[in-house]
Amino acid sequence: MPYIKEERKETISVEGDWDIGGSTTWKDSTLLQGYAQGLKEKRIIGSLCPGCGKVIVPPRNICGRCHRKMDEKVVVSDIGTVTCFVISAPFAKGKMQVLGMDPVETGLVGEGERVISVYVKLDGADSNIDTELIGAKPEEVYVGMRVKAVWAKERQGKLSDLEAVEPLRD
Amino acid sequence: MAGRVAIVGYAQSHHQHDIQMTREDMVFEVAKGALRNAGISREDVDTVITASTDFLDGRTISNLYTSMAVGAYLKDESKVEEDGAFAAYYALMRILSGVHDIALVEAHTQGSVVNPHLVSSYTLDPLFERQYGFLNDISAAALQARMYMNKYGVSEEQVAMVAVKNLMNAADNLNAHRKMPDVTVEEVLNSKLYYDPIRELTMSPVSDGACAIVLASEEKAKEITDIPVWIEGVGSCQDGYLRDRSLYKLDSLQKAAQDAYGMAGVSNPFAQIDVFEVSEKYAHEELMIYEALGLCREGKGKTLIEKGMTGKDGEIPVNPSGGALGADPICATGLIRVVEAAKQIRGEANGYQIPAYRALAHGQFGICAQKNVVFILGSE
Ligand SMILES: [Zn+2]
Repeated sequence: MPYIKEERKETISVEGDWDIGGSTTWKDSTLLQGYAQGLKEKRIIGSLCPGCGKVIVPPRNICGRCHRKMDEKVVVSDIGTVTCFVISAPFAKGKMQVLGMDPVETGLVGEGERVISVYVKLDGADSNIDTELIGAKPEEVYVGMRVKAVWAKERQGKLSDLEAVEPLRD
Repeated sequence: MAGRVAIVGYAQSHHQHDIQMTREDMVFEVAKGALRNAGISREDVDTVITASTDFLDGRTISNLYTSMAVGAYLKDESKVEEDGAFAAYYALMRILSGVHDIALVEAHTQGSVVNPHLVSSYTLDPLFERQYGFLNDISAAALQARMYMNKYGVSEEQVAMVAVKNLMNAADNLNAHRKMPDVTVEEVLNSKLYYDPIRELTMSPVSDGACAIVLASEEKAKEITDIPVWIEGVGSCQDGYLRDRSLYKLDSLQKAAQDAYGMAGVSNPFAQIDVFEVSEKYAHEELMIYEALGLCREGKGKTLIEKGMTGKDGEIPVNPSGGALGADPICATGLIRVVEAAKQIRGEANGYQIPAYRALAHGQFGICAQKNVVFILGSE
């Protein structure tokens, strides 16, 4: 939806497009492919820096700290710890668009539901992944909460194979 | 200049149409390569200046993602949204400020991932030119070529001779992309027509590539290397936008060159500069560049190319590396000219070495070379 300024006498609004009329691509090494393929087998892959020993998930091919390539891949746990969380305002129909769709209308979230976004440091990793926490009420989440991965039933080697995390109950 | 600044290290990629590397790996390789060439490590670097454009990188504020690859982690860093030669100019000023001693400059483009000529139409005025839809960088260059050729009676054959010279020169350069050792004027004139008179072989190729240099203050340069390449003079100048620009000459390049000559104490560039590396995005532009650099009178660029004076064995070799016609990884192209000029002074231009004590490097950016920067490099 174009943002139209209140009409003024001194200026006018000229509508224009900002579509580059073609597509762009990003050359990837096999990092994304390898990571997604791992998810299909419920394995979460990170890259290990030979300099500082840090493990970055999802994998990255360069360690900026050491200015070295991180060619070695390691598998980290699908269990981890919440390091930070954000709770959304209650969702309402007609109030917002996600990827061009109304999330309430499409049934992605219920009317009045609040979504919990979490930063999770998986065991064996030195970085955080951002995902959603399900199976817990907003008032139940806390920093330090132990969580585990929720896997898609039919995994296809896509990023969406790792659906969310849920509280680790024993 | 208050203190002196030298180029103490450099690296560039093997420019090609479709490099099998991620953008970050490409940046990493040249940054690491330039530091290795200078014999220093990332820890020695005070400031990092990069060059690329968000449109060509396919993301906004694109340096945020390449910062770790270039080695800017927890360092002073900035980016220019244009050619890397302007990044070098910026880095030079940062050292001259006295705040920094060593600067790493990096520039890159992967032309293969997005059509750069489509992107070019977004540099146009959104109210008029963009709505008419006639202009992009190639059609604007065609207008420039025609205005120049009509005014001075320059033939398409004379323009094609520039392409022949540079494409043959590129054949000797390991890093060049479009190498044509046996190309002829006929072949150039029969290559695919885009906008008359611009043809496939009279415009630069779309290349993937990256380039990096290390700059150091005088004191540090002398510690780091025995073969510093001193920046003796520099000039940068911005022309007006289309419409009221005289497209048949490069006024801003002329001004930039005069500033650089003044600083370097050059009064007769023809006699005092041994080799020239210039950013001719189109073959006709190289003739215009000869004139703006004061190598001949206005309109006489055609005489220099016809007499072979700018060939490798000529009196004033221009683009022995093959120039932009030999490889054009857009934002890296001008910085590559700086590296090629520095290679000539260090005696490292294997296969196309010109005996050189002083060299000129030129970078440009914008429709019809709107903006220009000139470096005079020397060995002493
Ligand atoms: Zn590291």
